[in-house]
Amino acid sequence: MDNSLFLGLVGLGALIVLIGIRVPIAYAMIVVGAVGTIALNGPGVFLNQLKTLGFSQFSKYDMSVIPMFVLMGYIATRAGLSQDLFRAANAWFGRMRGGVAMSAIAACAGFGAVCGSSLATATTMGQVALPELKRYRYSGALATGTLAAGGLLGILIPPSVVLVVYAIIVEANIVSMFAAALFPGLIAVALFILVIAIYVRVSPESGPAGDKLSRAEWLSATFGVVPVLAIFVIVIGGIYVGFYNPTPAAAVGVALVAIYGSLRRGVGLKDYRWALLETAKTTGMIYLILLGAELLKIFMSRGGVPQAAAEMMVNSGLSPMVILILLLIALIILGCLMDSMSMILLVMPFFWPVVSELDFGMDPEDVKIWFGILALIVVELGLITPPVGMNVFVISSLAKDVPMGQTFKGVFPFFLGELVRLALLIAFPAISLWLPHMLSN
Amino acid sequence: MDATTQNEGRVGPKGLTHRLIEAWALFGGVVILAVVAIQSISVVTGAFGHPLPGDFELTELGVAVGAFAFLPYCQLTGANVTADIFTSGLGRRFQAVLVFFSAIIALVFSVVMAWRTWIGTQDQFSYDYQTAILQIPIGYAFVPIVISLILVAVAAVVTLAESYQDIAHPSRNVYH
Amino acid sequence: QEVTLKLHHFLGPKSPAQTQMLEPWAKSIEEASGGKVKIEIYPSMSLGGAPPELVSQVRDGVVDLVWTVNGYTPGLFPRTEAFELPFIHTNDIRATNLAMRAMFDEYLAPEYKGVKVMFLHTHAGQAIQMAKDEVRKPADLAGKKMRIPTRTGAWVIEALGAAPAAMPVPDIPQAFSKGVVDGALIPWEIIPALKLQDQTEYQIEGVNKTRLGTTTFQVSMNLDKWNSLPEDIQKAFLDNSGEEWVKKAGDIWRQIDENGIKVATDAGNKHIQLTQEETDAFKTVLEPVVDRWVKEVESKGIDGAALVAKARELVAANTGK
Ligand code: NA
Ligand code: NA
Repeated sequence: MDNSLFLGLVGLGALIVLIGIRVPIAYAMIVVGAVGTIALNGPGVFLNQLKTLGFSQFSKYDMSVIPMFVLMGYIATRAGLSQDLFRAANAWFGRMRGGVAMSAIAACAGFGAVCGSSLATATTMGQVALPELKRYRYSGALATGTLAAGGLLGILIPPSVVLVVYAIIVEANIVSMFAAALFPGLIAVALFILVIAIYVRVSPESGPAGDKLSRAEWLSATFGVVPVLAIFVIVIGGIYVGFYNPTPAAAVGVALVAIYGSLRRGVGLKDYRWALLETAKTTGMIYLILLGAELLKIFMSRGGVPQAAAEMMVNSGLSPMVILILLLIALIILGCLMDSMSMILLVMPFFWPVVSELDFGMDPEDVKIWFGILALIVVELGLITPPVGMNVFVISSLAKDVPMGQTFKGVFPFFLGELVRLALLIAFPAISLWLPHMLSN
Repeated sequence: MDATTQNEGRVGPKGLTHRLIEAWALFGGVVILAVVAIQSISVVTGAFGHPLPGDFELTELGVAVGAFAFLPYCQLTGANVTADIFTSGLGRRFQAVLVFFSAIIALVFSVVMAWRTWIGTQDQFSYDYQTAILQIPIGYAFVPIVISLILVAVAAVVTLAESYQDIAHPSRNVYH
Repeated sequence: QEVTLKLHHFLGPKSPAQTQMLEPWAKSIEEASGGKVKIEIYPSMSLGGAPPELVSQVRDGVVDLVWTVNGYTPGLFPRTEAFELPFIHTNDIRATNLAMRAMFDEYLAPEYKGVKVMFLHTHAGQAIQMAKDEVRKPADLAGKKMRIPTRTGAWVIEALGAAPAAMPVPDIPQAFSKGVVDGALIPWEIIPALKLQDQTEYQIEGVNKTRLGTTTFQVSMNLDKWNSLPEDIQKAFLDNSGEEWVKKAGDIWRQIDENGIKVATDAGNKHIQLTQEETDAFKTVLEPVVDRWVKEVESKGIDGAALVAKARELVAANTGK
């Protein structure tokens, strides 16, 4: 076997062993990257590179949107935006059969429009919607399954921290990525609502209809979404129409959510303290993994691994589409074991060089965007698949009376809906690409 | 996991360490908030044709300092993600051994990184690295980063001590 | 005995800088050494870090060779910065390359610590590229938001009464299409890579391709590595990095720049070459930038006035050579 490929396999094997014995993913990458680089080029090279590597990685301008979108999501959690959204959605869908669950999906989509994280969306909306679903006697499986799936909209609808990280790794334009994600995200909302409609048709007792509201209640609930809508239009709309690029947009988003939360919702110092500490955990975790990914990349580049792997794939005789689908299947399998962010961070440095060499008869920039959206969908599926499904864990911890097996069962129809969507997006790249194309012309 | 519950059971020097590291993370958060303020102000003044000079480089420096200040807190609260899939069935004592091993990696990494970044800091000053517009010496941003890395080492020692206790007396502590 | 050297840089593997300059340069040295040296080119920062780190990477021996922009590390190369000022480099890349080479030992060498500079070069120089505004005189730029190329480029923009905006190169197209900037000071060379022909309508330069300042680049080797090389290999490097080579590098960058403007004019953009008078009007407005720079480097104990005078003299003397 080619030396470089062998080296890559040894590195990958060491990585899997370390992660398997519960070493944090970031540190596993750091260890493999460090040991590999030292083995190839000696300790001097590695130690000297460390003098500035930490600063240069953490100071990358593109990455500055990460702490800001994360912080925005946590402040939004405390600012009561989730109640507003759910109340409004419920005013619209509530009286249909399965309508309270549909409302939860719509509210998740709304919250996803100001929050870049899946777990935060699942947690926040779970706290608001689970008691309501219980009140209307929804089955435990449908109630928790809906929220575990709805949480996915946190990353499927821009802003999305996972997409930012993907863009950083493959050097894609963040604005194009956000634009590409919008329509697939809306399709997900539609499919999830369709899944609920079919679910309650098959099993009517699991999702009874809710109450009809008076006109006054309906109006006040509907107008409750104005603040969220305004924030989304200013932040994401502002990025789309090009008023600013993502970093200032994220900053403005933090400021707006904080102002609304402080003035209208009594978000106080204690809440900010909580939001900052949660942001510290999420951001610190992501940044440390990105540093690990950089060290791993250095080792792999020095060993010539990416070129060798890409060459092997290209010379394998498999068609580009088959290779693409194999990679996506690998991501779905990995997703059973890992969370979405770590997966993008861990796998993209290996996968992207391969994909970038494949000829799909498309512009290379388009392939970058399209593959990013496909990868986003398959990695977020990992959040709802057993055994490690973070969204399911979070919702289970909120709904203590529903066994986790029920939640996995309830989320399965949504998983099927996601496979349908994935097939659509593979077959029609234009669904993802037309908005970024329109924006850049 | 709520931050306040983490602090329970950590008293004396450990409690002090925890409060120090938490305060340092909050300092990082405040630096991020300052970046938010700079960017927001620049958006407003920029709409009138006068973006804040140097907003770009202040963001780079601020986020680097802020994000590094988060790392000790991540180490202390176990926020660095792990894949528990193969090990969740193992006994508490064995899990503690694995945590102990990870803490050693974190300790070695943070000590080496702090040492090298400190050398890097001296380079920054002696070669006169500075930002393009405001001409801020970049070395100033390296100093809090070195402090953050030293605190990661401190946090790793705390994790090390805790997991050692768990190995010795597996029933006493519930490890997060 | 074969020596393998790693050359690290920040642009992509298909960029003209790699395919048209770095690869031919590396090949000529490999051949001249009779196959004793092999230069592996690592594009896109694939050996890690960010572009501003290239200088420290080569100085610390993390890599053996780098190609980098001096302006990525403001403060490190204050003397060479003289060549980036407006109307020092004018319109002849070869002349500016030769002038930098001639001044190197006596004037510039002190700031290249820990490295052996193979050669310094420049691109064709900053031109004005505007989304919607025709520019003929400095006043036409008043109040416009302009993307800055370098530290001193920001001063140029200020002196013209425009607002400087900093952003990474890949963000420029987006910034243009959305009106975040009205224009940029940047050479034609960048047009195809960023598809700027779609985002801009006007490409403006001075008389006879005169530009408003430029960017300087270096190709440098780690000093210890250099000293460890046997004499015949050193000779292969020196022979292929001398006057002949920097002239050729000038021609290469001229050609890359011409390819860029052709893409713009083919797309129907308006390419404006100012008259001598119009160019002089810019020169008058931008002269204070040179004074500002001389004053600033004075505080570092550098005789900026002498550098500027010598640079101008040598650029003039080498023009057309
Ligand atoms: Na989102
Ligand atoms: Na999973």
